[in-house]
Amino acid sequence: MQATAIGTVAVTVALLGAFVFVRVTLAGLGTQILDQIEISVYMKADATPSQVAAARSALARDPRVASVEHVSRAAGLAQLRQETRGVIDMSIISANFLPEKLRVRAKNLDNVPAIAASIGKIRGVDNVVYNPPVVQRLLQLGTVMRRIGIAVIAIFVLVAGIIISNTIRLTVFARRREIAIMQLVGATNFYIRLPFICEGFLDGILGSALAVVVLAIVKTAVWQRLLEALPWAALGSARFDAPLLALELLVVGGALGIVASWISVGRYLRA
Amino acid sequence: MISLRNVTLAYPNGVRALEAVTLEIGKGEFVFLVGHSGTGKTSLLRLLYREMFPTGGEIVVDGIRVDRLRHARVPALRRHLGVVFQDFKLLGDKTVWENVAFAMQVTGAHTRDIMRQVPRTLDLVGLAHKSRMFPGELSGGEQQRTAIARALVNNPKLLLCDEPSGNLDPTNTTEIMELLQRINLKGTTIVVATHNQAVVDRMRRRVIRLEDGRVVADEERGYYYLGLGQSKVLSG
Repeated sequence: MQATAIGTVAVTVALLGAFVFVRVTLAGLGTQILDQIEISVYMKADATPSQVAAARSALARDPRVASVEHVSRAAGLAQLRQETRGVIDMSIISANFLPEKLRVRAKNLDNVPAIAASIGKIRGVDNVVYNPPVVQRLLQLGTVMRRIGIAVIAIFVLVAGIIISNTIRLTVFARRREIAIMQLVGATNFYIRLPFICEGFLDGILGSALAVVVLAIVKTAVWQRLLEALPWAALGSARFDAPLLALELLVVGGALGIVASWISVGRYLRA
Repeated sequence: MISLRNVTLAYPNGVRALEAVTLEIGKGEFVFLVGHSGTGKTSLLRLLYREMFPTGGEIVVDGIRVDRLRHARVPALRRHLGVVFQDFKLLGDKTVWENVAFAMQVTGAHTRDIMRQVPRTLDLVGLAHKSRMFPGELSGGEQQRTAIARALVNNPKLLLCDEPSGNLDPTNTTEIMELLQRINLKGTTIVVATHNQAVVDRMRRRVIRLEDGRVVADEERGYYYLGLGQSKVLSG
């Protein structure tokens, strides 16, 4: 009976943790994807600084363009190093093979193909890259999944709460004689409640701890593989505070335990 | 000490347990509450320690308007009076000592006060030598004495007893009643609800008789069958 309560909390909290983790990662991914909705303009290797400047101002004057940003080769290399940290050893690359890059953001995504076409005609421009609507869909998917995720989590939290509540209620019922005597002798409701609240709290914390351990194991096992499989996704760029998340999960579990047991003891004491 | 004015009690199922009961019990008195089972003796006691809430009327216990008491203040009321039941209501997994100490612990008493008071109370009821035993190992009389000790350990001014000798044989009954008399001599007000005729007739204390929820008789040195002439000696 106790194990059920702890187990349910563990599942709920594990889901919550996984959800948060995926969210954070997706957010990092999302930033990258957003970048890719921009039009990336790569200048030729022998483009002169004045050509770069000229291209830049030409684009800035274009009414369809919201912003133009110049990413120098050095800056580009630094960013690449950052994104692939831990996965690819960049120190073996000494020469900077990256070109000068311009990041162009359009005011209206519908104009992107047209803008890209016109950029191609500018002198010194080597390559114009932008991503098709697939990216749009991915972003939409992200939002939808987030909403579904929240609904699922809410349901699980409710279920976990109910199970803890019932577990406590059974315990309270089993000790009803003792509780009746405590009331007779003048114990306050709080005094009577306390041991049950503690029990609920423990159920919650243990469940969370279990979830944290499972999540940690899964993450360690899977993470490296994932990074190697999808280096383009730059998953490592999402900053993720694992200890903080673990702490937050423990707090959620404990709080869930306290609330559920408070409610179920309260119902008995008032009846 | 206790004052009831026009108190009525009707249970949710419609049964009227008490009907316009008015009585006063002074400090230090020893009172028997008699009547058939179901005439309202237990209900009356329950009103006094706020296990139930009167349908009408005023109840004052030691200066406190019990009928007006907020639910949150009921525990405080109960710490100032002791209640003893027919079925003892002891905690089976605690020793005699622990059962008595329990009543002090829930009031948040200091350990040193507990260590001082519990042995004293056990002495009073004559169970000091059995303080380490469990209720299951005691006789009915000893269990009731433990319950009485628990009721007394917080030095209440009022002791309510609901059929305290109901589960006891005559010898134990006598012991318990003598104990109650001793406690009463020390100044504690005692109210005993009982249908033990022999005890009532032997002790000749104030007797209040209830019938169908009403007070039908109230006499200082009374008999069980009050108002019906001399004490009736029942055959058999």
